Amino acid sequence: MAPLLQLSGLQKRFGEVRIADGLDLELEQGAAVGIVGPNGAGKTSLFGLISGDLRPDGGDVRLDGRAVNRLDAASRCRLGLGRTYQVPRPFEGLTVFENVLLAAQQGAGTRGRESHAVALSSLDRTRLSPDANRPAGSLGLLARKRLELARALATRPRLLLLDEVAGGLTDPEVRELVEIVRAANAEGMTVLWIEHVVRALVATVSRLVCLAGGTFVADGPPQEVLESDAVRAIYLGSTVAVAT
Amino acid sequence: MVWVNALIQGILVGGFYALFACGLSLLFGVMGIINLAHGDLAVIAAFVALTLAPAAHVPMVWSFVLVVPLFALGGYVLQRTLLQASLNRSPFTTLLVTFGLSVVIENVLLEVFTSNGQSLNIGTLIADSFNPTTTISVPYLSLVVLVVAVVVLGSLQLFLSRTRTGRMIRAVADDREAAQLSGANYQHLFGIAAAIAFATVALAGLAYGMYTEFSFDAGTANLLFAFEAVVIGGIGSLWGTLVGGIVLGIAQQVGGQINPAYQILAGHLVFLAVLVVRPRGLFGVRAAA
Repeated sequence: MAPLLQLSGLQKRFGEVRIADGLDLELEQGAAVGIVGPNGAGKTSLFGLISGDLRPDGGDVRLDGRAVNRLDAASRCRLGLGRTYQVPRPFEGLTVFENVLLAAQQGAGTRGRESHAVALSSLDRTRLSPDANRPAGSLGLLARKRLELARALATRPRLLLLDEVAGGLTDPEVRELVEIVRAANAEGMTVLWIEHVVRALVATVSRLVCLAGGTFVADGPPQEVLESDAVRAIYLGSTVAVAT
Repeated sequence: MVWVNALIQGILVGGFYALFACGLSLLFGVMGIINLAHGDLAVIAAFVALTLAPAAHVPMVWSFVLVVPLFALGGYVLQRTLLQASLNRSPFTTLLVTFGLSVVIENVLLEVFTSNGQSLNIGTLIADSFNPTTTISVPYLSLVVLVVAVVVLGSLQLFLSRTRTGRMIRAVADDREAAQLSGANYQHLFGIAAAIAFATVALAGLAYGMYTEFSFDAGTANLLFAFEAVVIGGIGSLWGTLVGGIVLGIAQQVGGQINPAYQILAGHLVFLAVLVVRPRGLFGVRAAA
């Protein structure tokens, strides 16, 4: 069986900055993988390449063995790719429920009662049900982060890309969030998660990769990666020992 | 009594302004396009009716049956091609492109239909009116246009707030990229919004052609009134556009009652006053983003 997500030889540069210099990555169905790396390494841009917001300069993105390079973000979403933004971007003029309902209808392709059920269950999971009828523009940061996650879940993705959903949250909030993501993963959803809150990652993922200078400088079980020389060099602030 | 009549005439002409401004409001609210060719599109609709209705043996009052679907289709196609291409460059490009479109349309109309004034002949309906007193006169045509404006704006509001497609249009208006991540194809939705906007401008153009004589360059002057109605009502609110049109209409009629020379001026003054006192408009949800 083909891996759910396969990146091969992915290239992307912005002027002189290489954020992907021949990236290769394979994600098996049901995996939970974390991405760490220094600021500006291009982690979010990598998500842009996978979700279709950005066009690669070279290389392939494959979903389920199918090359999706030519598909826009909306089509990739319907193929089962869900993503959250680091800075939440709710549709502020719509209510919380409408935000999620839209994702269920368009992203998951559901209709009628089924879309309502999908929308309600993703609000339930993210504990947003009490706020369902509030305009999304009136939500605070935590609720916005939850809504971002709820909306991604409502598209019923097979692969969920999480971009720093734990950033700026308190410890109990982070624990609650980890539970939501673990539950989704336990149901078979594949998770790829960028996070600076490393304890949240370690509690959830079974594999960690570190992106720096356009390549994955480490890849393996979380503890091993965090203790590796390459990652230590980056996080302790010494010269980044990365092949260029 | 003359003042009551001025008020009534103001409300009636306001209905026309609202119908006319509706498409402008929609294009700006959803796609951020300021369509400078909006007025010219209305004039095209009148000319199309002038040509098509006799050819198809359709009475002029029913010409909308032909023109509106044609315009909706044209709106969709124009949005997916020219307008989308200019949107992809920058919002400023859309301003230039629609300005250019306006120049092109006016010159083509001049070439094809000459500069002669025309009107859509609807027989005696043009003169029929309901006269409760000697000073008050309610022309049936104006009344019909007002009712059409209220129905169009009302159903559009319902469409946007209650239906699946309407909800998606609001979402892409809010955040195009994020809407894509929820699986919404924004280009198609923009096309639908443009189709609706063009359909409404076709209705407005037909109403205009039935009211009064028009020629190739009538669009530009009317564009200004549409802008004023949108801004007075508040950008992003369709009910606001209806109220804005009526406020503008009343201001003009009351001004005209004081002195016929003040009619247009009074409308502009109210527009300026709203800009000064309440820049987001009477019903504006927020300042223009």
